[in-house]
Amino acid sequence: MSRPYTCTMALAAAAALAAVSLRAQSQAPPPEQTVEVTAERFAFQPSEITVAVGTTLTVVLKSDDTTHGFRIKGEGVNVQIPKRGRGTTTVTFTPARAGKYTFECSRICGAGHGFMRGTIVAVEPSGEAK
Amino acid sequence: MPVLNHRNQLFAFANAVGLALALASVAGPAEAQTAEDEQQPQTRLSGYMDFHYNKLERADGRLDFHRFVLLVTHEFSPKIRFVGELELEHAFVEGLEEGGELELEQAYVDFLLSRGFNVRAGMLLMPVGILNERHEPPVYYGVERTFVDTVIVPSTWFELGAGIHGEVGHGWRYRLFVASPLNALEFSAAEGIRDGRQRGSETNVGRVALTGRAEYVGIRGLTAGASFWTGKSGFELRPRLDVPVHVIEADARYTRDRLELRAQIAGVTIDDAAALNDAIARTTGIDPNIASGLRGAYGEASYRVIEGQRWGDVGVFARYENYDTQHRMPPGAQPILAFDRDAWVMGATYWPDPDIAVKIDYVIARNQSTVVRAPNGLNVGLGWWF
Repeated sequence: MSRPYTCTMALAAAAALAAVSLRAQSQAPPPEQTVEVTAERFAFQPSEITVAVGTTLTVVLKSDDTTHGFRIKGEGVNVQIPKRGRGTTTVTFTPARAGKYTFECSRICGAGHGFMRGTIVAVEPSGEAK
Repeated sequence: MPVLNHRNQLFAFANAVGLALALASVAGPAEAQTAEDEQQPQTRLSGYMDFHYNKLERADGRLDFHRFVLLVTHEFSPKIRFVGELELEHAFVEGLEEGGELELEQAYVDFLLSRGFNVRAGMLLMPVGILNERHEPPVYYGVERTFVDTVIVPSTWFELGAGIHGEVGHGWRYRLFVASPLNALEFSAAEGIRDGRQRGSETNVGRVALTGRAEYVGIRGLTAGASFWTGKSGFELRPRLDVPVHVIEADARYTRDRLELRAQIAGVTIDDAAALNDAIARTTGIDPNIASGLRGAYGEASYRVIEGQRWGDVGVFARYENYDTQHRMPPGAQPILAFDRDAWVMGATYWPDPDIAVKIDYVIARNQSTVVRAPNGLNVGLGWWF
């Protein structure tokens, strides 16, 4: 095999590898964040979750007592959290813009039901919430 | 409680139950909500009940359907809500006799403006102590509520009022309400300020009371709070005697896996209790011997010894309470030692379902009197939430 031909093949292989690598980088999955949230009369813990814009937030919800609900207001997320010992519910939410998203219990759970609220704070990668 | 004809009360209660059921049937099942109906008005019915067997030493046992409570909530919009709680106590309402009570414990509209600032008005629970706002039977150990939350913090304590509440970040939240004050004419040596609750019935608000609570829920498993209530309470005395009354309280609750720890301390001060005693004696002919200081505290530890079984969970608990409604007396008055009390309460709860609690406990009661002995007691109860 001639030397120029070998060099050409080597360059082509390197270019192909670089292209595959770049393509892989451009198709990297969006960042993810998982938070476990416990619901009990009458609070979510934690009640404040900070996440970067564009990050897929996975919230694993568990109850310490009765059935609760978890609704992110205005975002079409509304699920039921099973009673204590009956497992967990998982929701995913990807904030598209920086800001504060209110979540709350959507199933009446007792006298202090109205206090069961919390906030997802979506921040720009620079760390600022609008 | 104002005296009404008991037939009228029962008729009103039956009407209220009927209305609640009708609203709930219109609303449909609570679990059926989806993203699409987030914009639709929602009306829901819920409630809790409990009945008890109480057996004091040297006395016959008693069965009592203690509480039958219905909660109705309605969402006018995502930012405006109504919450109502109607309670029938002791199953039967009668006129002048000591018996059942029909109470509107909550009926307020919440205007949810922002995370940190929301407005609430109507019949409100006073935000004092662990149990006053969190009293569904499956969530506390013991058949009866704690003594401290009965004679020091007069649970269930509800009054007409308005105020603000919200969460300010990092796990801190608050409530601050103005409300109708206590009626000092009804204070007593044994039960402290308990009978002074006006409970929303044509209440006197010549001097409104102020109450608030700061609460921290920023550490997983921990809820810690401090509350106050302050108001002038002698409006029914003639001549009027504006007796300042202050309640201060702190509490903490910590849960980790199967373990739960609770503690609460509460105190009441009644300024110028000597003048109050004189004024009440002139009005009623009886010196009530009201103290100028009341105080109480309890600590409780519980553990779920069985959890995750198909047939349910079992928890055991022990609680020590010390409470004295004659803690500090005004000049010239002597404390009644029988009201300086303490108690050990030990028992167990079986949850066949997380919303159903079968409870049993034994109370070892003591007081400082050498004459009047506090009776021990056995309690058995069944409570549920739906």
